[in-house]
Amino acid sequence: MQLYPLKQVTIVTEKILQDQLLPKLKELGAGGYTVSDCSGDGERGLRSGVGYGSNIQIIIICPEEVAHKILTHVSRNFFENYSCIAWIADVQVMRGARYVKKP
Amino acid sequence: MDPMKILHSLAENLLTPIPMCFALGIFCKLIHGGIKIPKELYYSISIFLLMSIGFVGGHELAKEVKDHGISTVWLPALATLFLGCFTPISAYVILRRLGGLSVADSAGIAAHYGSTSAVTYAVADVFANQSGHAPNSFLPTLVTILECPGIAIALAMGAVFSKVKHDAKQSETLLPPDDGHSHTKEEGQLGEALYEVLTGQSIMLMAGLLVIGFVSTFIMSEKGFHPFFDFFYSKGMIFRGALCIFLLEMGLVAGERLGDLKKVGIFLVAFGILVPIFHGFLGAYLGHLAGLNLGGCTVFAAIVSSASYIAAPPAVRLTLPEANPTLSITSALAITFPFNIAFGIPIYYQMAKMIGAT
Repeated sequence: MQLYPLKQVTIVTEKILQDQLLPKLKELGAGGYTVSDCSGDGERGLRSGVGYGSNIQIIIICPEEVAHKILTHVSRNFFENYSCIAWIADVQVMRGARYVKKP
Repeated sequence: MDPMKILHSLAENLLTPIPMCFALGIFCKLIHGGIKIPKELYYSISIFLLMSIGFVGGHELAKEVKDHGISTVWLPALATLFLGCFTPISAYVILRRLGGLSVADSAGIAAHYGSTSAVTYAVADVFANQSGHAPNSFLPTLVTILECPGIAIALAMGAVFSKVKHDAKQSETLLPPDDGHSHTKEEGQLGEALYEVLTGQSIMLMAGLLVIGFVSTFIMSEKGFHPFFDFFYSKGMIFRGALCIFLLEMGLVAGERLGDLKKVGIFLVAFGILVPIFHGFLGAYLGHLAGLNLGGCTVFAAIVSSASYIAAPPAVRLTLPEANPTLSITSALAITFPFNIAFGIPIYYQMAKMIGAT
C-alpha cells in the first residue's frame, strides 16, 4: 500500500468564528476540512452550553507549507482574544493528491 | 406603599411554576442532580416561543390598528426607541466611571443591557396576565424594536473609544501608524455584527411571525385564521408549559455559571441588580407617559430592564473580541435574569401602580 506523509492541523475554537475561519482555510490552500461541535474545559473556563460558549473542532489534512500558513493565521488572529488551541501532527494518507489543492 | 403588600406580591410571584422551575434548575446543578434537557428540545421550544410571541403579537397588533389606527402605538414605539438608545449609554457610563472597567468590557456589557431578553418578556407577560392586568396587545412589537439599537450603539461606542485609545497610544509611543487596514476591518466587523443580530434567529422568527400574524389577520376570515391562532396561543397553555421547560434549562445554565460570580466581583453583582431597577423604573414611567396600561407598563419595564444573552453575546464577541465574555454573560444570565424573574417583575408591577398606571 502506498502511503503519503502529510500534516494534520487540528483547531479547537469558538463556534462563532466558524463563518470567518472556514473560507479562510480554503484561501490558505486547504483542499477540505471536517468540522464538528464539541465542548470542553480549559484556561478560559467551561466551554459548553447552548448557543453561546460552544466550541468547534476543525480537522484539515494538508501539505506542511499550508499547515504552517493556517497555524500562523490562527495564532495571529485568535490566540489573544478567543478560546483557541491548534496543533499540527504527522499523518500518513492514501491518495495523497487528494489533499493538495489544485491551483 | 405598604411593604407587606410588596412582600406578598413577591412571594406570590416566586411560588408560581415558572420561577420555581428556574429555581429547580439551579438547585439541580448545585447538587449535581440528573436533569438534562436535550439541546434539540431547547432549540425547538425557543423556536416555538419566538414564533408564538410574534404571531400572537402580530394578530393583536392588527386588531389594535383596525380599532384605533396607529394612534395608540406610535408613542410607545417612540419611547422604546428612545430607551433602546439610552440604556446602553447609561450602562456604559456606569460601568466605565463607577466600575472602572475597560472600554471593551464596558461596551460589551452595555450591549447586553441595551438589548432585551425575549424570555423575560414571556415571563412578564404571564405574570401580568396572572395578576389580571393583560398588557397592551402591541408589546411584542416593542420587544422587536428594542432588540437592535442597544447592541448597535454599545458596539459603536466600544469600537470608537477603543480606536481613540489605540490612536493615542500609538502617537505616544511614536510607532508607525497602521496602513489603515485595521480601521476598515473594525468597521466591517461592526456591520457584520449588526447584520448578524438583525438576521439572527430571534429577530427573524419574532419579526417574521409578527408580520405573518398581522397580514393574515387582515386577509383571512376569522374561521380560517383560528386554527393557526389556536396552535400558537392555545389559551396560553402550551406557551406556559413550554416556558416551564425552557426556564428549567435556563436554571441549569445559570447554575453552571454561579461559580463565575466570584470572578466578576461585587460591583457587577450590584450592577446586575440596581441598573435593571433603574432602567425598569424609566421603562414603567415612560411607558405610562406613552399611554400603556398597568400590565403594559409592567411588561415594558421588564423588557427595558432585561439583558440579552442570546443575540448580544455573538455580536459582542465578533466586534469587541478583547471584552471578557464571562463578565457580560454572567451578569446577564446569572444575576439580572434570575433577579428579574424572581423580584424584578413584581417590583416593576408595584412601580407602575405607584406611578398611576391602571
